[in-house]
Amino acid sequence: MLDIKATKSTPRIIFIEDSDTLEMSGESYPENSFAFFAPVFEWLHSELPKLKALKFDVSINYMNSSSTKCMLDILDLLNEAFEQGKEVSITWFYQAGNDRARDLAEEFKEDLSIPFSIQPFETEEVTE
Amino acid sequence: MEKLLKLKNSFTEQGILISFNGPFTHSIIEEIGNAIKRYLEAEQLTQGTVSDVFSVYIEQTQNVRNYLSKKISSLNQHNTAILVIGKTNNHYTVSSGNSILRRDVPALVKRLEEINSVEKQNLKAFYKEALRKPRDPESEGAGLGLIIMARKAVDSLDYSFCPLDEEYDFFSLNVTVTGEA
Repeated sequence: MLDIKATKSTPRIIFIEDSDTLEMSGESYPENSFAFFAPVFEWLHSELPKLKALKFDVSINYMNSSSTKCMLDILDLLNEAFEQGKEVSITWFYQAGNDRARDLAEEFKEDLSIPFSIQPFETEEVTE
Repeated sequence: MEKLLKLKNSFTEQGILISFNGPFTHSIIEEIGNAIKRYLEAEQLTQGTVSDVFSVYIEQTQNVRNYLSKKISSLNQHNTAILVIGKTNNHYTVSSGNSILRRDVPALVKRLEEINSVEKQNLKAFYKEALRKPRDPESEGAGLGLIIMARKAVDSLDYSFCPLDEEYDFFSLNVTVTGEA
């Protein structure tokens, strides 16, 4: 079971068993990225081998440098699983009109062979 | 003239929008970051510019915070920093300043010069290569923040050092990004 609640500087991360979907959404600039993402790596190492398929849905507009490093490591693990024959795919949603958020996804996609779809979504202004 | 008015006029003259001087904590970084985003969004700038300024702000403040929390005791007067965001014409400059142990200066200068020597169009490849390097367990940051700033900066990374006492220098870093409306 993986269910991490979002904070201002960390994304929500949840695994939905019914649809074999790992979801990550929000912004990511934790105080300590490597500690923050550690449970995700633990989960991937123990659960990924047991899964037949995994969808990874990402909806992140901003990541700091150390989160980017962690994300790259996550994507590498998924890519490896895909190359070994597991049904893995990534859908990355970015805020429509936000070029930087799209570039972030594009740069990850460039180095992977896994099916990787990048899609814009319209957002309404959220006020806290 | 009254002190505060003098300060206000000086800020206005220099185009200073936001300034913070004191100890950086993660929650202060979050709060100021949100204020910066709101401010720039209200200025009708593109999402791209808001992202660039925010990204440079986060990398600078987290670098400073990581350095100070690792190297300098929170009781030490050197464990504080200043952050300034200013606007001149259509450019936004994010500046940070903090104490640094003099013995740490040569390694930082080497890194800054190494990044500044990379041609703009080669920074992406340089960044990707750095991203692939195994992380240094000694360093909290991935050592990538400076490259991210260099990619977003109009010019090279502008920095200086100024001696404070026998042990410490003051390090300042200025990164300017273009504002698109």
